[in-house]
Amino acid sequence: MKKVIFFIIANFLQAYSIQAQNNYKQQMQAAVTKLDQAASVKDYQQLAVEFESIAQLEKTGWLPYYYAAFCNVKIGWIYQEDGDRIEPFADKAEMDIKKSESLIDTAVQKKELSEVFCVLSMVNRARVFINPMSYGRQYGPVASQYTKLALKENADNPRANYLDGWEKYSTPKLWGGDKKKSKELLELAKHQLASNPDNGINPHWGLKEVDELLKQLK
Amino acid sequence: MRFSGRNKIFNTLFFIFSYVAVNAQTTIRGIVTNSNKDPQSGASIRVKESNQGTYADSAGSFLLIVQGKGKRNLELSSVGYTTREIEISLNDTIIFLDIELATETKTLGDVVVISVGSFEASDKAKGASLTPIDAVTVAGNGGDIANALRTLPGAQQIGEQDGLFVRGGSNDEAKQFVDGSLLPSPNYASIPGLPQPARLNPFLFKGILFSTGGYSALYGEAMSSALILETVDMPDKSSAALHIFPQNLGAGFQELSMDGKRSYGINAGYGNMQFYNRIVPQIPDYFKGPEYISTDANFRIKTSATGMLKFYCNYGYSNIGIRSPDIDSSSLFSSFEQVNTNFYSNLSYRESLGNNWKIEASTAFDNYQNGITRKLFNVKNQQLFLPDYPYSQYNLDSSTNSKFAEARFVLRKQLVHNQAIRFGAEYFYNHYLLSSHYPSDDATNMLYNNLIAAFAETDIYIAKKMAAKIGVRAEYSALLKRTNLAPRLSLAYRFADGGQINMAYGIFYQLPEMGYLAQNRDLDFSSADHYIINYQKKAGNRLFRIEAYYKVYHDLVTTYPSYANWGDGYARGIELFWRDKRTFKNVDYWITYTYLDTKRKYLDFPYAIAPSYSTPHTLSLVVKKYFQDINLSANMAYTLATGRPYYDIQNSVSGSPFFYDEGTTPVYHVMNLSFAYLFSIFPKWKNKEFSGIGLGCNNVFGSKEVFGYYFSYNGTNKMAVTPPATRTFYIGLFMSFGIDRRNDFINENL
Repeated sequence: MKKVIFFIIANFLQAYSIQAQNNYKQQMQAAVTKLDQAASVKDYQQLAVEFESIAQLEKTGWLPYYYAAFCNVKIGWIYQEDGDRIEPFADKAEMDIKKSESLIDTAVQKKELSEVFCVLSMVNRARVFINPMSYGRQYGPVASQYTKLALKENADNPRANYLDGWEKYSTPKLWGGDKKKSKELLELAKHQLASNPDNGINPHWGLKEVDELLKQLK
Repeated sequence: MRFSGRNKIFNTLFFIFSYVAVNAQTTIRGIVTNSNKDPQSGASIRVKESNQGTYADSAGSFLLIVQGKGKRNLELSSVGYTTREIEISLNDTIIFLDIELATETKTLGDVVVISVGSFEASDKAKGASLTPIDAVTVAGNGGDIANALRTLPGAQQIGEQDGLFVRGGSNDEAKQFVDGSLLPSPNYASIPGLPQPARLNPFLFKGILFSTGGYSALYGEAMSSALILETVDMPDKSSAALHIFPQNLGAGFQELSMDGKRSYGINAGYGNMQFYNRIVPQIPDYFKGPEYISTDANFRIKTSATGMLKFYCNYGYSNIGIRSPDIDSSSLFSSFEQVNTNFYSNLSYRESLGNNWKIEASTAFDNYQNGITRKLFNVKNQQLFLPDYPYSQYNLDSSTNSKFAEARFVLRKQLVHNQAIRFGAEYFYNHYLLSSHYPSDDATNMLYNNLIAAFAETDIYIAKKMAAKIGVRAEYSALLKRTNLAPRLSLAYRFADGGQINMAYGIFYQLPEMGYLAQNRDLDFSSADHYIINYQKKAGNRLFRIEAYYKVYHDLVTTYPSYANWGDGYARGIELFWRDKRTFKNVDYWITYTYLDTKRKYLDFPYAIAPSYSTPHTLSLVVKKYFQDINLSANMAYTLATGRPYYDIQNSVSGSPFFYDEGTTPVYHVMNLSFAYLFSIFPKWKNKEFSGIGLGCNNVFGSKEVFGYYFSYNGTNKMAVTPPATRTFYIGLFMSFGIDRRNDFINENL
């Protein structure tokens, strides 16, 4: 009998816990915490939907759309070796990041704009992955341009420096690639991430990505 | 205690039930699948205008408890699928839902793209699909796009002639189209036994569709294969380029206006093989050239946001003289001199007309002038005139002039879900003049033809995963006074795992060559029926394809006993293609296997035999590797093919043909290598130039290639048809100077 009751109560608690979280900040914090642990396509896919549903409720915040876009573009990067699957994720990410951009006062919110440009750079880079031979010419320079814009808006953005370092790492020397410069930029990004650790729900990703690339540079 | 404990429980239950009465809840269980009933793990299920939601598990099932009463909208979404909304009524019960999500054709762009009988190399290629650069950098193609495509399934390895020999068809049965219009002579005028270079620079094209059968009703006059080429639009910068090779040198520029809406350019090149041939000895003896001049000019105008007008013209000149021992008499020599000029122009226009209508129109003009002089010499190099056959034929002057004009338009309406209707018409004009001058007599043949064609085609979805292209083409030739009607049909069905089955059927008509029509103006169209089935799967930057086909030829032209349409035949085969860009880092390779079984009766064949340009088995391996750290790209192409049949067909005294000699050539195997090393000579310049050294070698192993035999008139003497030299080499420098304005345009469009 007790078991039955406990089961029923537990069921209730579960059902209501969803409602109990009806608080934007809490929800975002929960999702961002999950994002910090995300690794697989499935993780990012679920989180993208989660951020999108938060965005539906909190229609004026730039962050939910920003994160939704980031999750989708991250999938595009994970699929780097599978050109046929990237496009829908890049398209979706671009749609969301444009929404995020529209919710920013671009004249004042330089830091936020810099983060948005980072995702736009990643979106265009993901399109290059579809087939570097055919899409590289078109989207590669756009991606670099967004990275430069991100740095212009906020030179202290570790994610912008990470993307710049990534480009310097992946580009052939003849076209401006530079492994030494790449390492410097990645170390700078790492330093920036360390000096300004986890700040709640604001963008703070990058350490994993920077470390992974630094490992390859060794 | 027991009582009070029980009381507590009852109290709790009472509390719960009363709560439920006020806050009703509905349990929704369900499963999300796609149209193939595959579970959609990770699909999102959300109650609209609320934050209640969940995700489908790996089996596609979900459980959602929703509070409240009344109507709610449930939103189901998964990337790549169309989001669905379902209205549910909450009424304290359990609702079971079985939801199917439809593939989102809009974002995926090309869910079911029919790909049967063709290889497309496009600048929009994804994953393991070919790009134009992939195609034109195949080692050993000598700047001829048709050669590069010989490493794809369906093509035969024919070393002594240019053009494409596809699935049992001759090179005359494979046509090239540029921006919709026919390109009548893609190569410099042919010379017996010596393939001639292509006229058009392969880098001119951003889209290459190589159809080995079953192609669209928009194109015709090619029985076996259509090579559909699309030229580049606006360049992204103004630039100048030059190249210096021992065989040829050239320079050109392309100017782009500041607003990026207009561009024009001119290129010129001169090639002379004399220097090269002194270093790498050739057989036969070239006493003239080979010498080539190529010039081209273009302009492109963006007439509006969606409109584009493009003009391209090309003038080519070749001058060649060869001398070789006469096959009928070892004490005599025969010479062959040829001077060829060719002017080609193409003007094309495309524009959106609104309401999803689009027009594409093009015109093309070609003027081909070819002069051939044949002479017979004795050992003292004095011209000989012998009255007896066959020697009487060995002193000859002939000139051919072909004029060609075409105009066409295609209207297309784009419908929902990648469906479309296309229709249009085209007009061809051919004028042919052949004058031959023998010491004994002269002959002149003149004829012209007007051909009109109309075509219509639709892309439709028959079912969610099944697309069809249904087309029909009608042609009327004023010279033949005949009409033909060619249905074309292709189908594609896509499996959930991305694999796709394609099928095609069609009839493909072709006018007899003008040279044959000059002999008999009453010839009919020749035709081929194609039946093709293939399976293709593309995933993870790999592509696998298997294709089988069956073709039936009707009314092929015979030249003996008379010029007529008494020929027929068949071709069937299986082809495999595997491309992998993933397994080895920075390495891209593809493997092709072609099996061909074909027999035809045509020309002077006494009965249906395998033509000399066919072989049963062909295997190709193409490997490309880019060494990023040293800016070096390396290309290798290896081909292995079984021998080809050869025949010496003679006529008995009674006039019935027979084989005086027949056999099979040795196995053909060739490995070609090419390298391009990129660097910058002036890296400090603001607009630094990009330079490269290209070098390559064809037939690295020096295998002895025999393509067939020439037979003397009486059949007692035969001479192997071989390449003029065992190996060919090239090394040269190319430089490109440009003001890269891409960033300006990007900044404008950010």
